[in-house]
Amino acid sequence: MRDYVLFFINGREQRARGSEVFRTLSSYLRYDLGKTGTKIVCEEGDCGACSVLLGRIVDGDFRYEPVNSCILALGQLDGTSIVSVEGLNANGELNAVQESMIVSHGAQCGYCTPGFIVAMSALFESKEKLTEKDVRDGLTGNLCRCTGYEPIVKAALGVDGKTMAKIGDLYPAAPMLAAIRAARSEGGVAIEASGRAFAAPDALADAIRFKSDHAPVTILQGGTDVGVWVNKRDFTAPAILSLANVDGLDELRVENGAIIAGAKVTLAAFERFVEERIPELFGILNVFGSPQIKNAGTLVGNIANGSPIGDTLPYLLVAEAKLELTGAKGSRVVEINSFYKGYKQFDLAADEIITRVIAPIVTTRPSSILNLYKISRRKDLDISAFTAAMRLRIERDVIAQAWIAYGGVAPTVVRMPKTEAFVTGKVPSLELFERAGAIARGEITPISDVRGSREYRSQLAENIMARFWYDAFDLEQEALSVQTYRGMA
Amino acid sequence: MTIVGRNIPHDSASGHVTGESIYIDDMPFARNELVVDFYWSRVANGRIRSIDLYAAAKVPGIVGLYTWRDLNHNRLGPIIQDEPLLAENIVSYIGQPIVVIAAESREAIRLAKATIRIDIEEYEPVFTIDDAKRRKQFIAATRFIRRGDAAEAFAKAEHVIEGTFVNGGQDHFYLESQAAMAVPGELGALTIYSSTQHTSEVQEVSAHLLGLPANKVVVITKRMGGGFGGKEAQATHPAVMAALVAHKTGRPARIVYNKDDDMQVTGGRHPFQNDYKVAFASDGTITALKVDFYSDGGAFADLSTAVLGRAMCHADNAYYIANAEISGTICRTNFPPNTAFRGFGGPQGIATIENIIEEIAFRLHKDPVEIRIRNCYGIDDRNVTPYGQVVTNNTLPRLFEDLVARSDYHKRVADVAAFNARSKTHLRGISCTAVKFGISFNTKFLNQANALVNVYLDGSVQVSTGATEMGQGVNTKIRQFVAEEFAIDPELVLLMPTSTEKNNNTSATAASAAADLNGSAAVDACRKIRARLLDIAARELAGRTDDLEASPATIAFDDGTIYDRRRPALRLTWKELVKLAYLQRVSLGERGFYATQGLDWNADKGSGSPFLYYTNGCAVSEVLIDRFTGEMHVVRADLLMDIGRSVNPGIDRGQITGGFIQAMGWLTNEELSYAPGGELLTHSPTTYKIPNIQDLPPVFNVDCIDNDTNTQNIRGSKAVGEPPFCLGISILNAVKNALSYVSGAEIPKINAPATGEEILMRLTQYKNAKRVLAKNGEPVAVAAG
Repeated sequence: MRDYVLFFINGREQRARGSEVFRTLSSYLRYDLGKTGTKIVCEEGDCGACSVLLGRIVDGDFRYEPVNSCILALGQLDGTSIVSVEGLNANGELNAVQESMIVSHGAQCGYCTPGFIVAMSALFESKEKLTEKDVRDGLTGNLCRCTGYEPIVKAALGVDGKTMAKIGDLYPAAPMLAAIRAARSEGGVAIEASGRAFAAPDALADAIRFKSDHAPVTILQGGTDVGVWVNKRDFTAPAILSLANVDGLDELRVENGAIIAGAKVTLAAFERFVEERIPELFGILNVFGSPQIKNAGTLVGNIANGSPIGDTLPYLLVAEAKLELTGAKGSRVVEINSFYKGYKQFDLAADEIITRVIAPIVTTRPSSILNLYKISRRKDLDISAFTAAMRLRIERDVIAQAWIAYGGVAPTVVRMPKTEAFVTGKVPSLELFERAGAIARGEITPISDVRGSREYRSQLAENIMARFWYDAFDLEQEALSVQTYRGMA
Repeated sequence: MTIVGRNIPHDSASGHVTGESIYIDDMPFARNELVVDFYWSRVANGRIRSIDLYAAAKVPGIVGLYTWRDLNHNRLGPIIQDEPLLAENIVSYIGQPIVVIAAESREAIRLAKATIRIDIEEYEPVFTIDDAKRRKQFIAATRFIRRGDAAEAFAKAEHVIEGTFVNGGQDHFYLESQAAMAVPGELGALTIYSSTQHTSEVQEVSAHLLGLPANKVVVITKRMGGGFGGKEAQATHPAVMAALVAHKTGRPARIVYNKDDDMQVTGGRHPFQNDYKVAFASDGTITALKVDFYSDGGAFADLSTAVLGRAMCHADNAYYIANAEISGTICRTNFPPNTAFRGFGGPQGIATIENIIEEIAFRLHKDPVEIRIRNCYGIDDRNVTPYGQVVTNNTLPRLFEDLVARSDYHKRVADVAAFNARSKTHLRGISCTAVKFGISFNTKFLNQANALVNVYLDGSVQVSTGATEMGQGVNTKIRQFVAEEFAIDPELVLLMPTSTEKNNNTSATAASAAADLNGSAAVDACRKIRARLLDIAARELAGRTDDLEASPATIAFDDGTIYDRRRPALRLTWKELVKLAYLQRVSLGERGFYATQGLDWNADKGSGSPFLYYTNGCAVSEVLIDRFTGEMHVVRADLLMDIGRSVNPGIDRGQITGGFIQAMGWLTNEELSYAPGGELLTHSPTTYKIPNIQDLPPVFNVDCIDNDTNTQNIRGSKAVGEPPFCLGISILNAVKNALSYVSGAEIPKINAPATGEEILMRLTQYKNAKRVLAKNGEPVAVAAG
């Protein structure tokens, strides 16, 4: 066992001990190391001003991806290499992204700029030339209030990626990997400080033991929710468990027509994996959050947080996904449709960890139809006001079975049994779905909150049925709408 | 070589991209430094019965707890001094500071705050303009602008429309929240580093509230991480709090708001609710306009009277209104005082008249652009505003004509109509609106500036002005003006941090006019130095020949060299000339001054010529709306502006794109939501959604017309900071236009912000109305669009 976490910042070794592991990376960078290029603005992962590159070991080398350092605790960083904006021009010269941002007037007040530089530089880790879509998707997590983004898009498109040094070239992996191996040979991390416990064990059995011994335990994987509670609600978990050092939880594969995703699979990895396999779900994941959030947050985290507007949940409910829960007595598999018992209440014992998700791949057309909806104030990187998943199995032009799930209308994401029953056995028509909309509206009692009024959510719950009919069955309208989006948006 | 007009990078750009640029929170810790924060009211309206700081004072690490009694004076306000820095016996909004806390650490402050007990007797709060009107709770007197005989024109009108235009507020959402650091000096002096747009105001108010003479307080602003007006008046509060702690403890003190606090305790753009009545002829000519502006000023005056004045002066926008009756009233509510925000009332005035024009077009079944062009200010006639200023250098007719052609407006209107007839899932809408924005502070005396220019022996130059840099590039523009005067490389010119030590009694960096005013002052200083250098150069160059008499009149500065036009081959370098001047004991430093001439404004009468000139522009925006969800996207925007001769095309373009997108936020997704008790619910970017990169319209054409005829301003330029913000109003009207396809015979209505929820509510209302009509067997009217 070790009493420290080991990580690197701009190639220099760092060890965090004691209650330091609970501190945020952004605060450590700014106030301890004096690296003030990383800015703290929103402290909740919504603005990107604190973006840094997080290098995690993949196939024996570091893969660098942007994350929000304001919601990242030092304890999460064991075995990683961090590069801050100061580390990007290690050789003393500006990189091509920085040069392009200068000449394109991509910086005005400059406060968001380091975050943009980090996120934009990251895009050239895997590509030499970006499309405008790459740029927009890649910079969704960075807010700028001055430029209107146009000069920033131009700056990114103007970069010749061939001239961009790879982060791996700036910071050779070998010595860092050796130090990490040496540390790991001492075992997992176990820290007790200021009456709080932190563990990053290297075996699942140890993780489960920690979880039952220290209950209630907060599992801190991506930290994209927990980090916000810490910053905004003075959340001080008595015991925190990181699965970072547990092997085998990052599996991502297809078996018997279902995707098996381990507890450590990030939303970004899951998004890439479903792009070809479940395009409809990919569309949701695409607007789900920023790269920074998706690189840190996990699919299991989205499930375990159990928010009524968790964006992956409507799909998982209509696909009848299963969860593998592992505890002291071994593993069991539960249906996601029976996992949620109430607002943030789960069929999960104190010692149990969600180790795997088994998400069937719902194929589409001609016999099966799947449409997913996410309605939020802003299209991208916004928490939904309302979500919906519509899945139908059609036999001989009749709806043989319907799976409908709504989010944002109840304490959990819910299936809509009355509405499902109403459409089952009937021939799809606009009128049918208009009537289904009225039934759906009656089936829920949403609340008013900052994301939308009760009336708005009820109206969406009703309207989404007719919207779905046009998307799924009116090919002319669907074509027109696809053409409209493609042509303009 | 002209340096003005060149697209050179922002002078801080390389520091910005590397993260080296220093903001208040980035400054190294000073020895003994204290953390400053404040405890604010959780009650919107009430009387303080008691303040219990006993437990807080005992928290380890707490160094000081200060209330209003610790101040020498406790009243501030940029125009009307009605606002206490720290609440006395009454609290008037949630977020109002009551106790300033000084501590060794943030943790101590957190613990101390939890122990502070303030007993407040709650009064009924006022949260709406209607409520304030009912209770006659106003700030300052109602003001008027009147011309002609509106009553008669209404009596004779062919058509009249009445209505109410409502817009919401807006948080500035500068990325760098409010921040200041105060460092005590000798003999009671203070140096305050402040993220402010207005160093002199921070100086004056700090000195006054602490009982110091102004000369003991130096305020320095290197830069802000965004301002947009939010740091014009309200950066003063944190600065004074830090100054109070430094003054009381003798220790450096720093205050940095976190984003949630910043959004909750500061005010923003004024919500307005404007009742209007317009008379017009069947050809669309407006014959009379009556607008009663009501703004939500929040709890204290702040800049509300000036903001309202600008709103009233922009009720005409680009349009000639023969008979006008415009009134303006500020409602006092229990929200944080609303303040300056890019456009400063102008957008609210312009949005009102643009909304009215859209309605006139709907009523007459005419294209809105036809109505706009018909009413547009003339070049030689119909060119006097309701407040009596002649509209000169009027490029508006040209802008309309040019943009309608460039944006393919008429064809797209037909496409939109065809699409809307065909699509059952989506609606499109398109609108073209204009901006005519008056440049100058409405308050005449603010239109002055001073500058200090120092030339060093190596030829490098330092320039100090009262302008503050918040990203808008004012320092880069002044750098260009100065380099141009001396014909030297702009790299030789450095703009120094704004400091009250160098520039006294300055005006806020505001009203889009900082480069105009401070640039002109800097040029004045340069010309004085240059005049002295001419003599030296003339003598020196003549002395190097056998046949030339010294002739300052024929000396020229060009590309870092100085020569006599009669003998261009013989040249001095800039550095040589500077050295010569020094050796001849001629001053190489100078102070410049500028005061805008020809302004005349009587706010009480609502008449005069408050502006030096107008910056103009037009925009066409097109939107796509989901009929079932109300989701809206701006799919294309075309902007065309007249900014005179651009000082720096890259920087000016950035102002145009940035202003437009910021307005998009105001009018679409940025909504301030409050709990019933008045607590702001949308106090971070999770819930308050400013535009992100995906909201940038996929087709976005931005251009400026060539106009070298503005003789009123420095180097033929026009100010650019605020005017393009007003072009975003085309988006709101495009939504209105889209709704016109489904509203039947009813004039489509939309309030700002046009959120998905607001749009869906309207769509549902029109759909239900149509159902009722259809059920009754009456014909369903179809809008002409």
